[in-house]
Amino acid sequence: MEHSSLAGLIFRGVALTLIVLFFMFPIVWIFMMSFQNNDQILRIPPRILFEPTLSNYKALISGQLHTAAGNLQITFMRNLFNSVVLSSAAVALALLLGVPAAYAFARFKFRLGETIAFTLLSFRFAPPLLVLLPLSLYYQELGLNDTYFGIVWVYQLIALPLILWIVRGYFEDISPDIEHAYRLAGHSWWEAFTRIAVPLAGPGIAAAGLLSFIFCWNNFVFALILASADKQPVTVGALAFVTASGIQYGQIAAAIVLSVTPTLLLALYAQRYLVEGLSLGAVKG
Amino acid sequence: MSMVQLLQTNAQAAPARPKPRVRWLPYLLSLPALLICVAILVPFVTAAIYSLQRYRLNLPYLRGFIGLDNYIDFLSDPAFWNTLRISITYTVLTVVLELLLGLAIALLLRRPTRFHNAVSIMLLLPLMTAPAIAALMWKLMTNPSFGILSYLVSLFGVTDFKWASDPSTALFTVVLVDIWVYTPFIMILLLAGLRSLPRQPFEAAALDGVPATFVFFRITLPMLTPYIITASLFRLLDSIQQFDIIYAMTQGGPGDRLMVFQVQAYLEFFQYTNVGRSAALLMVLWLITNILSNIFIKNWLRLRARAHGHA
Amino acid sequence: MARLDINSVSKAFGATRPADGLSLTVESGEIVAVFGPSGSGKTVLLRMIAGMFEPDDGDIQVGGRSIVGAAPERRGIGMAFQNFALFPHMTARDNIASGLRAKAGEVTARVAAISKLLKIEHVLGHTPRELSNGQKQRTALARALIGNPDVLLLDDPLRNVDAKLRYEMRLELPSLLRRGSAAVLYVTQDYREAMAIADRIAVLIDGRFAQIGTPDDIYAQPASVAVARLFGDPTINLAEVTPVAEHGALSVVVAGARTWLGSGVGVAPDGPCWLGVRPDDLVISSTPGDDAIPARILAVTPMYEKAVLLLRLADGTEWLAALPHDAPLGAADDAVFVRFAPDAAMLFDRATGLWIGLSHRRQAA
Repeated sequence: MEHSSLAGLIFRGVALTLIVLFFMFPIVWIFMMSFQNNDQILRIPPRILFEPTLSNYKALISGQLHTAAGNLQITFMRNLFNSVVLSSAAVALALLLGVPAAYAFARFKFRLGETIAFTLLSFRFAPPLLVLLPLSLYYQELGLNDTYFGIVWVYQLIALPLILWIVRGYFEDISPDIEHAYRLAGHSWWEAFTRIAVPLAGPGIAAAGLLSFIFCWNNFVFALILASADKQPVTVGALAFVTASGIQYGQIAAAIVLSVTPTLLLALYAQRYLVEGLSLGAVKG
Repeated sequence: MSMVQLLQTNAQAAPARPKPRVRWLPYLLSLPALLICVAILVPFVTAAIYSLQRYRLNLPYLRGFIGLDNYIDFLSDPAFWNTLRISITYTVLTVVLELLLGLAIALLLRRPTRFHNAVSIMLLLPLMTAPAIAALMWKLMTNPSFGILSYLVSLFGVTDFKWASDPSTALFTVVLVDIWVYTPFIMILLLAGLRSLPRQPFEAAALDGVPATFVFFRITLPMLTPYIITASLFRLLDSIQQFDIIYAMTQGGPGDRLMVFQVQAYLEFFQYTNVGRSAALLMVLWLITNILSNIFIKNWLRLRARAHGHA
Repeated sequence: MARLDINSVSKAFGATRPADGLSLTVESGEIVAVFGPSGSGKTVLLRMIAGMFEPDDGDIQVGGRSIVGAAPERRGIGMAFQNFALFPHMTARDNIASGLRAKAGEVTARVAAISKLLKIEHVLGHTPRELSNGQKQRTALARALIGNPDVLLLDDPLRNVDAKLRYEMRLELPSLLRRGSAAVLYVTQDYREAMAIADRIAVLIDGRFAQIGTPDDIYAQPASVAVARLFGDPTINLAEVTPVAEHGALSVVVAGARTWLGSGVGVAPDGPCWLGVRPDDLVISSTPGDDAIPARILAVTPMYEKAVLLLRLADGTEWLAALPHDAPLGAADDAVFVRFAPDAAMLFDRATGLWIGLSHRRQAA
C-alpha cells in the first residue's frame, strides 16, 4: 500500500510541508506580529527577523495605550478575566448538573431520559440565534441580561450536551456488576456513584470538561447578544477592540495571542480525547 | 410453610421492610438537564410564535398575529433568496473542499508514526482557535496595506487584491478561513476512522497485488463511509449556520454579499428590529437543520454503538 | 445465622419468564447449587436475591424477614460475580476490605486472614489488571466472604478460570463456603461442579425448578428426561419402550433384545416409556444373547479417563457407551453386543417425560 518510490516520497514530503505551512502559518505569523511595533508591522516587504518588543503586551496588561492621538483605555484584560470566569463557571455548573444526569441516562432506561438526551443533542445542531434572540427579550424582562449568571446559564447549551453524551458513553462502558458489587459490600447508591462510577468515568469526565471549557471559551454569538462591554469574553472583546483601536495592529495581534493561548494549551494537553469529544463520543481516537 | 404462616411472616416483616427502591432517582438526577431543556424549548416556541407575528421592537403598537405572512413574504423577497443562495453556496463550498482536503490529509497521515502524530496534533490548533478570533487573524493577514497575504499575492503580480472587502473575492476569503479552521475537524475524524479499520482486507489486497486505486475506491472508501457521512453532516450542520467567521470578518458585507441566514437574522433583529421576520428566517433555517440533524443522529448513533462495542 | 427462603418468585421480561414460581429454601450452612442450561434463569434468580431487580411476584426472605424492596446494601448478602466485577481502580486489598466497616486494625487482621485462606496474600497490593484470572477470582471470593454475610451468592464463579484452577477450586470451595455458616446459593452450568460442591442441587429449566435434591438423588433418580439429560457426560441414552409386566417383574425390549428390569416400579407403567441408560452403565461384548442388543461401533473417541463409543443399535438408534480405557474397546465398524444391568435402567413417561421408576443405585459418577 505504501509507495516507497522516490517520486512518492517527494510527493508526500511536499504535500505535508504545504499542509503544515498552510495551517500553522497564520498562528506563527500573528504570534510574531504580537512582538512587533507598528513600524515593523507596516514595513514592506515584511521581515522574518526583527527586534522583538513586549510593548504590545505591556499596553494590554496595563490597560493604557499611549498614542499620538492621546491615551486610550483598553479593557482587554477585563475580557480575558470574563472569559476565565464565564467558561470555568459554566463548565463547573455543567459538570455538576450533567454528570449525574449522564449517569441516570446510562444506567436507567427511562423514556424521559432519552427524550432529554436527544432534545439536547438535536438543539446542539439548531441555529443558536433561534434560542438566543427570544431569550434576550426574556432576559431583559428577568433582569438577567448582562449578568454572569445569565451567560453561564446559556453556556449550558454548549457544555451540557457535550458532557451528557460523552460521559454517558463512559458510564455505559462500566459494567453495572461492579457497582452492584459495591452496593452489596454495604454501600449506598450515592457511595457507589461517587466512589465507583465517577472515578472510573474520570478520564471521560475530564475530557468532556476540558472540551466544554474550550468550546465555551471560543463561543462568540452567545455573549455578543447577551453581554455588554464589562461582561464580554475575549472573543467579543477582541472584535470590539479592533474597532476601537483602529490601527494598533501590534496590540490586536497580542490580544489575539492572549485569547487563543489558553485553549490551544488545553487542546494540546487534552489532544488524546479531542476526537472523542469533537464527535460527541461517537469516534474513539 | 402454610399460607397462613406465610402471610403472618410477611405482615411481621412489613414495618421493617424498607421503602420500595427509588424509582424517582433517575428523574431527580436528570432534573437539571430537564430544566435546561425547558430553557431551550421555551425560547424556541417563543421564536416560532414571533415568526407568525408582525412584531417590530420600534413599533410595538403594530404587533399582531399575521399567520404565515412573514414566510409568504420571503417568496417574493430577493433578499431572502440571496440569503438562501449564499448560505447554500457557502455550505457546499466549505463542506466539499474540507472533505476532500481532510480526506487527503488523513490518508497522508494514516500510518501512526511519531512524525505523523505530531503533524496531526499541530493541525488541531486552528480547530481549537475561536472562529471569531480566527477571522480576526486572517483579517490582519489580508489587510491591504500590510497584510502578509496581500504582499504574497503581489509577488505574483496581483496587486490590489482586496480579499474580504471586495464583493468578488469576499466569499473566497471567508471560505478560506472556514477551510483553515474546520478542515482539521474532518481530518481528525477520518484519521481516527482510517486507523480503526481492520487490517485483514488491506493485507489480503497487498498479497494479491491489487492496484492502489482499486484498494482505495473499493476497500478504503466504503469502509470509511460512516465516518465520512458523520463528519460531513457535522460540518454541514455547522456550516449552514456559520455566523462567527462571517460576522467577525465582514458582518455580512460587502453589501449583502455574505448575508447568510444567521447574520441576516441577527441584523434583522438588532439593526432593523424586525423580530417577526428575524424569527421566521431562523425557523426556515431550523427546518433545514432539523432535517439534516435527524439524518445525522441516525448515522451518529450507529458510529457510537460501534465505539462502545455494543453494535 | 439465617436461612434463605424463596417463595413462589416470578419475574417476566416482556415475553420471557426467567422465573416462574420459584420456591427454594437454603438452610444456614447449606450449599445449594442452582444448575441449569444457559438462559434458564439462574442469573436472574441471583440478581433478584441480590436486589438488582425485584421480583414481579412472590417473596424472598433472609432469616424470616422479607428483603424484597430493600436496598442491596441492606440485604446482608455477599456475592461473587462470574466476571469477578472487581473495582479496577482499587488494589486487591481495598477490593477485599471494601465491605468492612471496622477499625483499621481489625480490617487489616481480617483481610490478612481471608487472603491467607485463599492464598492471595502476596498480591494484595496489586490492582485487578495485574492479577491473573485465578487471583481475580480468589479476590472476588474473598470480597464476598469477608463480611460473613447471611447469604452468599456465587454466580458461576469458576466459569472464567482455566481447567486446572477449576479443579482445585472445586476441592477447596465447599469448606471455604461453609466457614461462615452462610446460606450459599451457587449457580453453575456444569453438573460436575454442582455435584462436587453442593449439598443439594436445584435444577432450573425454563424458569422452573425441575427437581431439587441431593446430587446422588438427582443423578440416580432424575425427575424427568430433561433433568437426566443435563446430568452426565456423555448424555444419557434413551430408547422408546413399552415395558411388559410378567411374574411381578418388568421387562423391556430394545432393538429386539429383552432386558429384565426387576421390580423397582411401584406401579407398572401403562403404555410407552422412555428407557434411560447412562453410557457408563453399558457393557460391550462380542458374545450374543437374548439380552444383548446387536450394534455396530461407528466411532471411538477418547474422553477424559474414558473412551466413548458411538454405537448404532440394530434398530438404527444411536447410543453412546463410556468405557474405561482398559476395557476391550473394539474399533469402528466392529459388530458388538450391548448389555446393561437392570439396576441401571430408568423409566420416564413417554408423554410427560416425568420419572416413573427404577434405578436402585444411589451412586454418582
